[in-house]
Amino acid sequence: MDPLVTVATLHGGQRITAVNMAAKMQGIKPGLLLADARIQFPNLIVKQANPKADLKALGKLAKACERYSPWTAIDPLGNGKLASMSGSKGIWIDITGCAHLYKGERPLVEDLRDRCIQADYQPRIGLADTPGAAWAAARFSNASFCIIPPQTQRENLSTYPITALRLDPSTLKKLESFGLRHIYDLYGKPRAPILSRFGDKVLKRLDQMLGRIEEPISPRQSATLHYTRMVFAEPIGRTEDVKLVLNKLLKKLCLIFEVKNLGVLQLELLIFRVDNSWARLRIGTSQASRNPDHLELLFRKDLEALNLGFGIEVASLIATETSALNARQIDIEGKISHRPNDNSAKLVDRLSGRLGMKNIVRLQPIKSHLPECATRTLPALETSFSKNNWRNFNRHPQRPIQLLQQPLPIEVIASAPDGPPVMFLWRKQQHRIVSAAGPERISPEWWRPTQLRIHTHPVTQETRDYYRLEDQNGQRFWVFRKGFYRLTRPPIWYLHGFFA
Amino acid sequence: MQTEIFDNKSALNSILLPDPMTLDSLRNQIREIERSGKLSPPLSAENELTVSLGSSEINEALPWGGLPIMGLHEIFGDTAAVGFTTALMNKFAKNSDAPILWCQHGRNLYGHGLVDFGIDPDRLILVEGKSDNDILWAMEEGLRCADIAVVIGKPYKVPPIIGRRLQLAAEENSSTGLLLRPQDRKKPQSVSPTNAALTRWHVTAAPSITPARGPGLSIAKWNLELQRYRYCAFNLQKQKTVKRVTSWQVEWNHETGDLSVVTDLCNRSVQPQQEKQKTS
Repeated sequence: MDPLVTVATLHGGQRITAVNMAAKMQGIKPGLLLADARIQFPNLIVKQANPKADLKALGKLAKACERYSPWTAIDPLGNGKLASMSGSKGIWIDITGCAHLYKGERPLVEDLRDRCIQADYQPRIGLADTPGAAWAAARFSNASFCIIPPQTQRENLSTYPITALRLDPSTLKKLESFGLRHIYDLYGKPRAPILSRFGDKVLKRLDQMLGRIEEPISPRQSATLHYTRMVFAEPIGRTEDVKLVLNKLLKKLCLIFEVKNLGVLQLELLIFRVDNSWARLRIGTSQASRNPDHLELLFRKDLEALNLGFGIEVASLIATETSALNARQIDIEGKISHRPNDNSAKLVDRLSGRLGMKNIVRLQPIKSHLPECATRTLPALETSFSKNNWRNFNRHPQRPIQLLQQPLPIEVIASAPDGPPVMFLWRKQQHRIVSAAGPERISPEWWRPTQLRIHTHPVTQETRDYYRLEDQNGQRFWVFRKGFYRLTRPPIWYLHGFFA
Repeated sequence: MQTEIFDNKSALNSILLPDPMTLDSLRNQIREIERSGKLSPPLSAENELTVSLGSSEINEALPWGGLPIMGLHEIFGDTAAVGFTTALMNKFAKNSDAPILWCQHGRNLYGHGLVDFGIDPDRLILVEGKSDNDILWAMEEGLRCADIAVVIGKPYKVPPIIGRRLQLAAEENSSTGLLLRPQDRKKPQSVSPTNAALTRWHVTAAPSITPARGPGLSIAKWNLELQRYRYCAFNLQKQKTVKRVTSWQVEWNHETGDLSVVTDLCNRSVQPQQEKQKTS
């Protein structure tokens, strides 16, 4: 394994923020300047640090840790300056009342360690009465996991360095200058001088670690989940049965939504098989819905393709995204009055569910002179019907009904170098031009950054002269000449669209 | 002798053939039995819901007196066929604000161009299918949906059974489907038609009437040919091939959205006639 480090601009220079095991063995430490490290270790692999992605990964890990306790959180200190001091970010898991599920604390911690290693993480786990003690144990014990027996943190943590108290670097420096290097140095010291010299932070952290002050952990999960679940006495293995189960779950969930005046936008069906594997089916709707039949229809295609293996034990249905949906008025004949675009929204759901969201689109105008940039497509599932004023965008004389996504080069004979074509060849067919209209000159849009233009497009950088042409058969084409006419090179022509 | 036979025949006819009135009522009864529980069916050509194409000549060539709303129409041809389809789409979708479903391979429909055909691009829901199956399935779903004004599909091939399904879906839900079948000018036979569709049109571009002088293009002109229609008189699926004049040169009027037939006179050059006079 080669030494690998991530770097970020910190304290006026490219500094190493994290190192892998190989780099650590060679003595590279976080906080080192990249230039210094490069001199010592020329074969260093350097990657840019990505704190956002780190946090995301940490969130994922924290979610995975919910198997041990629902009370999990990302350590908020991990984001601060302290992170670079004490190494790494962390996750809190409050396992109060959960350890017996794993037959004790030690098996739980071992299970956690094994799972982390399986996922290619090198965990350091500390377990103690208080968050502060666990934090210190995870980082400063010699073993990869450390369990501090109840009520013994005072003795067990006494030899730990003062850094284990989760203090900021300036306070640490001050403490060290007074010769207070270890936690036991603080034991039995009078509180008043410490308070006046170093502020309340030191004593607070010490008290938190020893359990004299409560330190609450706020779990990361806060939003209420709309969730139904069904457990079977015997595993079920037939698709028809699963359909029935889904129907029941949907009805249950929709009943909840009816009370809360909510509708589903995104729904997940989780299926746990006998062999401990699971599958997830996901649907989305374009309009909030709580109609079980409609939602069931959206699941149908995926459900039929689902591999049930040896049967499933648990099925749960989670509404991951909801939105307000008020009750409808029933009209005098007892029918629910439909909103005008109700049926079409359901159609969009169905189509998007089967053909893919990106393949069901609506058109939207964009203020651009370039014809291919003047409109864009948006998934119909995400955009509801909106009124755009296309006329405002379309002040031009005429636009073709079919536009080629990529203009095709054609061979053209023109009467004058900068005149309209007299004849052109396209797909080995001769088109003799009977009449032509134009030119319509379209200049490139210099005010737009180049990245925003369609990158695959080869000809956006130059002025185009568009002509509308009619050939001997009456077919109408939209062609353009790229660039201005120059003596040095023959003009290049493109076919861009068809008029009807 | 001849007159005698003639007389006999007419006499026979009057005995053998039942009264047309009773026949009609019987057929209506059958129709009602067949369609029990569904919307009351259109009984005759008069009250069948149709859309006028704008030109009386074309309307009269159709047995319905216009294009029927509930059914599938098939349009063959080159780029002009897209224009004709859009013109029809405009006709069918005019009366409502409902969305229009357009299913095809790829994405080459241009919103700003549709505006010129009187279509509001906001109403379009475009379906991009990876295969003909996807497109035809989406079309059927669209035809069965009550809130879609008109469904347009552009598949490469339509299997006969699927064509029939589409037609039935359109009939049951009184919706309109337009099948656009692009055709190569060189190989017009490469696309096989669907027999289930109510009408089959063939549209190609025609040289427009060029103005005498000055640049610019005049109004586009199309060769429009009604190749076939299936007229279900009293639910008897009598298939008729067109016998009357069914080929016109038409122009599309962007103000009214109507088609207008261009007279032959307009299309004829004056030169040869003068020469004829000279020789004679």
